[in-house]
Amino acid sequence: MRGPVMVSLLPGITLFGIFFLVPFFVLVATAFARWGGLDFAWVGLDNYQRMFDDPVFFKAFGNTLFYAAASMFIQVPLGVAVGMVLALRPRGWRALRTIIFVPFVISGAAYAVIFSMFYNPRSGLLNNVLGALGLSGDRDWLFDTATARWAVAGTFVFIIGFVVVLVMAEIASIPNEIYEAASVDGATTWQQLTRITLPLLRNVIGTAILVRLLVDIGMFDLVFILTAGGPDDATATLALYAYRAYLNGEWGYANAVGSVILAVGLVLIVTVRRAFRIGERAL
Amino acid sequence: MSKSRMTTTTATVAIASAAAVMAGVAGCGSDGGSSASDSSADTSGDSGEIVITCATCQESPTDPFLQYNYEAAQRFNEEFAGTYRVETIENANAGSSDDRLQYYQRLALADDLPDLFQLNSGEIKALQETGRLHDFASTLENDDEWAATFHDQAFDALMGAGGEIWAIPQQRDAIGIYYNTELLENAGFAEFPATWDEFEDLAAELRSQDKVAIAMDGDWATMLMWVNLIGTQPGGAEFLREGIVGSDNWGDDPTVVQATERLRDWHVEGYVNADAFSGEFQNAAAPYLTEEAAMVANGPWFVNTNLKTDSAAPGLYEKTGYAAAPGWSEGDRGAVVVSGAGWVSGTTDEQKLEAVETFVKFVSSEDEVLRQATATGANPPVQVDAAAAEEADLEPLATGLIEEAAESTYRYPHVRVHGPAGFGAAWKNLWPAYVKGEMATDEFLQRLTDDAMSDQTG
Repeated sequence: MRGPVMVSLLPGITLFGIFFLVPFFVLVATAFARWGGLDFAWVGLDNYQRMFDDPVFFKAFGNTLFYAAASMFIQVPLGVAVGMVLALRPRGWRALRTIIFVPFVISGAAYAVIFSMFYNPRSGLLNNVLGALGLSGDRDWLFDTATARWAVAGTFVFIIGFVVVLVMAEIASIPNEIYEAASVDGATTWQQLTRITLPLLRNVIGTAILVRLLVDIGMFDLVFILTAGGPDDATATLALYAYRAYLNGEWGYANAVGSVILAVGLVLIVTVRRAFRIGERAL
Repeated sequence: MSKSRMTTTTATVAIASAAAVMAGVAGCGSDGGSSASDSSADTSGDSGEIVITCATCQESPTDPFLQYNYEAAQRFNEEFAGTYRVETIENANAGSSDDRLQYYQRLALADDLPDLFQLNSGEIKALQETGRLHDFASTLENDDEWAATFHDQAFDALMGAGGEIWAIPQQRDAIGIYYNTELLENAGFAEFPATWDEFEDLAAELRSQDKVAIAMDGDWATMLMWVNLIGTQPGGAEFLREGIVGSDNWGDDPTVVQATERLRDWHVEGYVNADAFSGEFQNAAAPYLTEEAAMVANGPWFVNTNLKTDSAAPGLYEKTGYAAAPGWSEGDRGAVVVSGAGWVSGTTDEQKLEAVETFVKFVSSEDEVLRQATATGANPPVQVDAAAAEEADLEPLATGLIEEAAESTYRYPHVRVHGPAGFGAAWKNLWPAYVKGEMATDEFLQRLTDDAMSDQTG
């Protein structure tokens, strides 16, 4: 019995080894090397030393955390709120759910192109609307260091379809008897939402935050297409910073940055899982 | 389910799964489509035909240079049928892009470079370090007649420090400034300005008429104007040829400081389109093509790729002029002169090299360079008979600028072609912040030098 089970696991283990373990060990090992394809030399902690001496790395790190915070404090709460409202099944909720979900299935690259037109200071919709309202309509949202990060975050924080669907599915699984009992006890709709529904969404909110954070710490395509990390690295992310090093033939350095991204991801997974007690039963 | 039956089922699933993985792995190994060397492995078939691979010879509805290469390869295959044949590799990195150099560097490491492809001079400098590029010097030495057909200095940007010739130039172009004659006349300028002071007078007048004086993009077109402002000062051309790769602070050169501040001031004064920082050339092209802007800097290929397309306002081509850059003083005009991309080879196989050399001689023949000039608007790297050139009906804007550039006081290379490989990314990152007043000129130029020369990460 044990032999066949092991054999049946072999394909999965093989694929996991080839496509995860090998790249993982290459990344971690070469982070301690100067490696540009043409040369290879072990350099100890030099890559990390250089990274921590580079102000651009800290800018990229700060920006990555900023985008993660935008997801955590704007995107997820907004998605949860909308999901809870739609779960009450107001008139037209099905159509609304579909409309809200559509942006989630549009590729990041396409989204970036659409928003680069939206933010265009000469012909973009945003400045034209602001101008029509009598407000200053000549700001270069993406290439002004004061607004660039916010403009980039503005492209994704309203893509809440994924969170909305998660929340609605979770609410649908809450036994109706709980609401009936609360109703008999005189609880208002608001009280039911805040004292029954919201606490029972703990698991799914934690999961949504975790998924978004993991997407955000590897954010690349949106930023690359919108601003390429500029102006003056005001929008650069860790993934973009690593990509620049890779383009420059500094593969070992890029992998050192990649290992930092991995470590940050690990810390986030552990922290969020603990904070939201993901996996523990809510009822 | 009985225990024995379950065991049998599990074993069957396990064997089937293992077989599927093995088939998948084997499948991975058998995909040779993306490998340059795989497709060129059959140097000669039973027919004795020598097959070489070309990674920049694919059909392209949007890139006239690739399309020309494709058609030239077909003509070559017809003319040399049975002896040599060019086989096209479909290559997503065939056109100019930030990823192109990395792509070829990876192939070089795997000793899998295509037999034929194209690179610009900056990329050649980086790729020759792999030691995988063929040196065409001996080919040119052994064929004086062919070598003599090339324009003077045609190989300058394509040579190594030891006199190696890493590429055969595909073009030799002067790059100037396109201008809308009607808008200039409306602003009181019957002729293109001769000096930068006059240029600024014109820009101010256009600004007062709610027109953009000169359209830029934060990348290619902006850099062209930066180079023009540097190159038209005494010593500027030397900086663009040598200082830009040798100096550790470009801010030490007064020509660079003056040029940089003047270009910044044009943005501050509102002479330039507001969306001039994205790095997308479309942001520069659109205002000119819609007659919102009076001028835009670009090479002769702009005619076929933009001016003669449906994107351009009706009649715009007819009212477009093309001029060398103004000068800092009367009579000191200048123009960027570039060799553009060159044909390079990554093969070491003697028979394939013979085919490669035959191909580059074929595409630099008078017939082919004139065909290319007609198709792309780019000018030949070789001298052609005046009567043949006239008969070929070359783009008059481009040929006119070639003549004007020859008479100009200054000729200089473009920084994107001749400067450090990291220049483009560094410029795009820092230029918007500098223009918006977030750093002083000396800080901008020091950081630009550092980022462009050392690396792109910071």
